[in-house]
Amino acid sequence: MNQQKSLKKDAQLVRLLVSRNLTVRYKRSVIGVGWTLVNPMMSSFVLWLVFANNFGQRLDSGQQYAPYLIAGTLLNAFVTMGITMSANSILENASILTKIYVKPQIFTLASAIAGLVNFAIGFIPLTLVCLVAGQAISPTFPLVFVVAFFLVLFVAGAGLLLSILFIRFSDSQSISVILLNMLSYVTPLFYPISDLTPTMQKVVSLNPLTSFLDCFRWAFSNNATATLNDWLYIGFSGIAMFVIGNIVFSKSWHKVVVMLG
Amino acid sequence: MKLIEVKNVSFDYRVIRTTSTSLKEFFRDFIRGSVRITRLQALDQISFSLHSGKVLGIVGGNGAGKSTLLKLIAGVLPPQSGQVLVEGSIAPMIELGAGFHPELTAAENTIFFSALIGRDVKKVRQELHTIGDWADVTDHLDFPIRSFSSGMVARLAFSAATQERADILLVDEVLSVGDEKFRAATRKRIKEQLALGTGVVLVSHEPSIIRELCDEVLWLEKGKIRMIGETDVVMNAYHDSQMSQ
Repeated sequence: MNQQKSLKKDAQLVRLLVSRNLTVRYKRSVIGVGWTLVNPMMSSFVLWLVFANNFGQRLDSGQQYAPYLIAGTLLNAFVTMGITMSANSILENASILTKIYVKPQIFTLASAIAGLVNFAIGFIPLTLVCLVAGQAISPTFPLVFVVAFFLVLFVAGAGLLLSILFIRFSDSQSISVILLNMLSYVTPLFYPISDLTPTMQKVVSLNPLTSFLDCFRWAFSNNATATLNDWLYIGFSGIAMFVIGNIVFSKSWHKVVVMLG
Repeated sequence: MKLIEVKNVSFDYRVIRTTSTSLKEFFRDFIRGSVRITRLQALDQISFSLHSGKVLGIVGGNGAGKSTLLKLIAGVLPPQSGQVLVEGSIAPMIELGAGFHPELTAAENTIFFSALIGRDVKKVRQELHTIGDWADVTDHLDFPIRSFSSGMVARLAFSAATQERADILLVDEVLSVGDEKFRAATRKRIKEQLALGTGVVLVSHEPSIIRELCDEVLWLEKGKIRMIGETDVVMNAYHDSQMSQ
């Protein structure tokens, strides 16, 4: 009974934090919600200008390069921004966490969910580009939300892991930017995986984000192939990251909380 | 009814002497074997309890461990040894305005702060005007909090925290802020809740407030209990030691 009550309170706090997260960000910018779309759209456009004539020509038949790129940059923006923001959320809310007892994991989860909302807003331009490119939205579209669900677990778990480092070492933020950047290069955001050497293909397919992206592109507009293994892999890596993140976090929290001041 | 039971609680801050706050430096120091950890003892073997309807005052100089003790009771810091047992809901007022975001409106902030301390948001939405009225800021509920004076923020946070009666109030220097009217109103509200069975832990540097409200006083000195007992006895001894310094 008591546990149910506290779960309800945690859920209400997550809801409020997500909306606070979004409103605060949009209040600062003139074009509001549109701002989240500017970055992925611009980089997709540049990538399209540069690579449409080579990578764009080598996709499997029936696949279109423009939606391929936008799906890639949207997912990548969600992962890199989501992980960074949820890792930062603990530091940003240090003034709350040192004065009021709240489960700190709530802040990371809320940041990951706010990232998901931005990701979902990106579905609008992605749909438009699919239609312009002559692609229909697949009947498998609802599966996009399965991808999104496991991706939120992945992002929140990675955010929890990193947040401990962020509190402990001030330069870990810039190091994480480099690492996340490297991770996006081994994700087929703008190139077809078949274009790589066999060794690199293995490396890239080991990256769980590759499976996330394949499943996302396939479910959205049948713009990639996703095997059963891909689906199993995203489920596994999402849950594993979330569980590991939570375990490591709750074991280290009591050591780093004093460093929040 | 016993609300708080603190048993042999100790707490130290581990300070890394090499001050390697960056990963690069830490690895360098770690390889050289020069990472040294110093312990700063903030609290040493503290025990006391608080019953409902009572007020416990905590006094002591800067760095005596008063705030650390309050944070341990609030659950913000975990005790490293000993036990902190808390029975009932807590309204923490360690800093008035903690959790407020300057860009959001007073109403939004009130709702968010109430959710932070575990209140039911639906109920708070209905009570917004009552909360605003007590704090005398009803006309400004739709303004961003950055346009508020510090006194208005303090009144609003106190009003929100005490709108619903909590079993335990944790108050850190809160009664010393604001004008005389606000101070009188806060004391009145605390007394109302005391009569209903709330227990209060009060940290203050102002002897007059401690003497007016507290049933018992805990005097901390460098993390240890120097004295604990009836308000007058402890406050007289505390006063004497302050004078002799």
